[in-house]
Amino acid sequence: MIQKKVCMVGLFGTGKTSLVQQFVHSIFSVKYHSTVGVKIDRKAVEVDGTSVTLVLWDLAGRDGTSDIPASYLRGSHAILFVVDGTRRESFDQLPELRELARAAAGEVPSLVALNKTDLTDQWILGQREEAALAAQGCHVLKTSAKTGAGVEEAFTWLARETARNGGKPA
Amino acid sequence: MPDNRTTPDYLGLAGEYDPASAEFAELRELLLGEERRKLAELQRRVEAQSKNAEEVAELLPEAIALRSGRDRQLARALAPTMERAISESVRRNPREIATAIFPVLGPAIRKALAETMAALVESINRAVEHTFSFRGLAWRIEAWRTGVPYAQIVLKHALVYRVEQVFLIHAETGLLLVHAAPPRLKVADADLISGMLTAIQDFVGDSFRPQEAGGLRTFSVGELTVMVEQGPQAVLAAVVRGQPPESLLHKLQDRLETVHLEFAAAFADFTGDSAPFAAAQPLLEECLETVLSHQHTRAARSRLAWLRWAIPIALLAGVLAGLGWRSQRRFSAAVARLEAEPGIQLVDARRSGGNWRFRGLKDPLAAEPAVILAGLGADTARLDARWEPYLSLEPGLVVARARQALAAPPTVQLRLAGDTLYATGEAPLAWVARAGALPVLPPGVAVLNARAVVATLPADLAGLRSQIEAELILFEVGSAVVAPGERAALDSLSVSFRALQAGTMSFGHRTDLALYGRTDPTGSDAVNQTLSQSRVEAVSGVLVRAGIPAERLKGIPLGTANPLIGRDSLEQARRNRSVAFQVQVTREPPR
Repeated sequence: MIQKKVCMVGLFGTGKTSLVQQFVHSIFSVKYHSTVGVKIDRKAVEVDGTSVTLVLWDLAGRDGTSDIPASYLRGSHAILFVVDGTRRESFDQLPELRELARAAAGEVPSLVALNKTDLTDQWILGQREEAALAAQGCHVLKTSAKTGAGVEEAFTWLARETARNGGKPA
Repeated sequence: MPDNRTTPDYLGLAGEYDPASAEFAELRELLLGEERRKLAELQRRVEAQSKNAEEVAELLPEAIALRSGRDRQLARALAPTMERAISESVRRNPREIATAIFPVLGPAIRKALAETMAALVESINRAVEHTFSFRGLAWRIEAWRTGVPYAQIVLKHALVYRVEQVFLIHAETGLLLVHAAPPRLKVADADLISGMLTAIQDFVGDSFRPQEAGGLRTFSVGELTVMVEQGPQAVLAAVVRGQPPESLLHKLQDRLETVHLEFAAAFADFTGDSAPFAAAQPLLEECLETVLSHQHTRAARSRLAWLRWAIPIALLAGVLAGLGWRSQRRFSAAVARLEAEPGIQLVDARRSGGNWRFRGLKDPLAAEPAVILAGLGADTARLDARWEPYLSLEPGLVVARARQALAAPPTVQLRLAGDTLYATGEAPLAWVARAGALPVLPPGVAVLNARAVVATLPADLAGLRSQIEAELILFEVGSAVVAPGERAALDSLSVSFRALQAGTMSFGHRTDLALYGRTDPTGSDAVNQTLSQSRVEAVSGVLVRAGIPAERLKGIPLGTANPLIGRDSLEQARRNRSVAFQVQVTREPPR
């Protein structure tokens, strides 16, 4: 069985948990976020005829990056950053989060989900921001917990990348 | 270094060769200058080399100390070489290394032994606890009470520890490598649990920063205990229901070490594929054990087996002693009771086992010993008693025997005072007659005094007496002459009396007839007294003439005393001008 550890990182309120909730198998309640600070879910993805199980470490969103425990990020095969497309600070914090993840997990495939695309009227991210992300080598996807848009795609990308990469943490 | 003298004469200039000439030097410089410089450089380097080695030798310890203090680069760089050097050394001459590390091995072995001993002591404690604890006793009582075999009761209650799940988890990623659980125990989401377990490990590590690496080793949730054994590459976690012993931890350590050893390559290449670790499944399954407490303590118990039996035996002995004491007390009470019983003389009393043996004398009229003993709660089936008959002079028995011998009716009370038996109450004339004429008195009785017994007449005689006493001979006022009308009554009376007299005589009794003479109240007492006397005499005369011996007749002139009662004064006066009769039966005194 191929398993990959994927960490989901994002500031408080970016909608990480809601984003994956209806797509993953979960046995732990959200109260784990306030206690242990992480909640672990599972998502099985088929990649080129091989089943890959993504073990998703849904890290509790905090107000600052310093609160995110590096030990949880250790050993990750991929990182899923979640940004709230309606809140500027969640975008601004991204470089810091990425640095944190790189320090803990090394160079691993990472995906930035620009979340809450359903809130079009409050959307504040433009072409420029997306271009900046692409320039930094980030793979970007627009997602919505409400409509489910982009979520399966994100999982498929993560599974494929980790499988291809060998997923070996650097 | 080649010099000009050995240089071959390539140019054909040997005849006029002048090494000192400036031209030649120039030529030499042109042809060989470059090589000469290189040669000089090489020479300098070779010389410097030997000088540098000396310098490095001089500097090396300091340099190593300097660099080691700065970072771990040197250690990292040297590690592979050191490892190879050590393994080479061990391969060539193991003795050398063994000697070197002996001081380290000693304490390590001692520590391991101490831990093993601690585990052993723990298991002995458990054994003792389970065998002799209140709970153990309670189980035995329950088994005895319900009739269910003790083993089943233990099975029902015994503290069981069961290793329900074992996880082998990749340390860094928290991914599940192998999971073992009993077939009937369905466990889904072992991968999520494994992840969460790792997260909690990290959480505890981050939160409390334990001094040593290792983090959370054991935690309990209700009946479950999770034991976590941490290794560099993997974590072995066991979910245990009940009280896991120390030995289980050792087992987990052992398995984890084996996994590290056997799967070193798989760990090095791990990228999320758990397939290479499937071979570790049997190693984990070995840890899935269900241990009942009696199983767990079997080894220790064999050493304590004698103790296990000692307590029930001591209890049994105590119970038997208690029972024996009770039996002894009961026996003593029985002996005392028999000794106090009138008419029983105990000669020998013994108790052996549960059997009671008595030998003695018993008056036939004494209470039955078996009945007495049964009343005391003795088991008469285990009674061996033999009684020789004898006659007791206990007053109670003398009276009883006398009553039997005299055939005394229940209306007669018997009382012994000294050797005289007093009889009171009333009895038929026949009995009174017979009692008075007994040729032999019962043993213990010298004299029978039955004078106080009122003899009751047999029916025919009683009829005669009533008939006689119903008669009243009336007189005219102031007269003491028996009227002719009264003669017939007196004749009849005399016949009755003679019959009565004959009847009582046959029982050894004499019958007397009292004659009560009365007058009416008129007249003086003196006259009346005389008149009543005259009336008695008149009637006596008639009766004597009718054949009744005069000495049987007793005249009692009452005058006006003790008058008879009448319906009215006239009637009363008439009735009191009379003579009335009373029959008196008394024993004929011995002649």
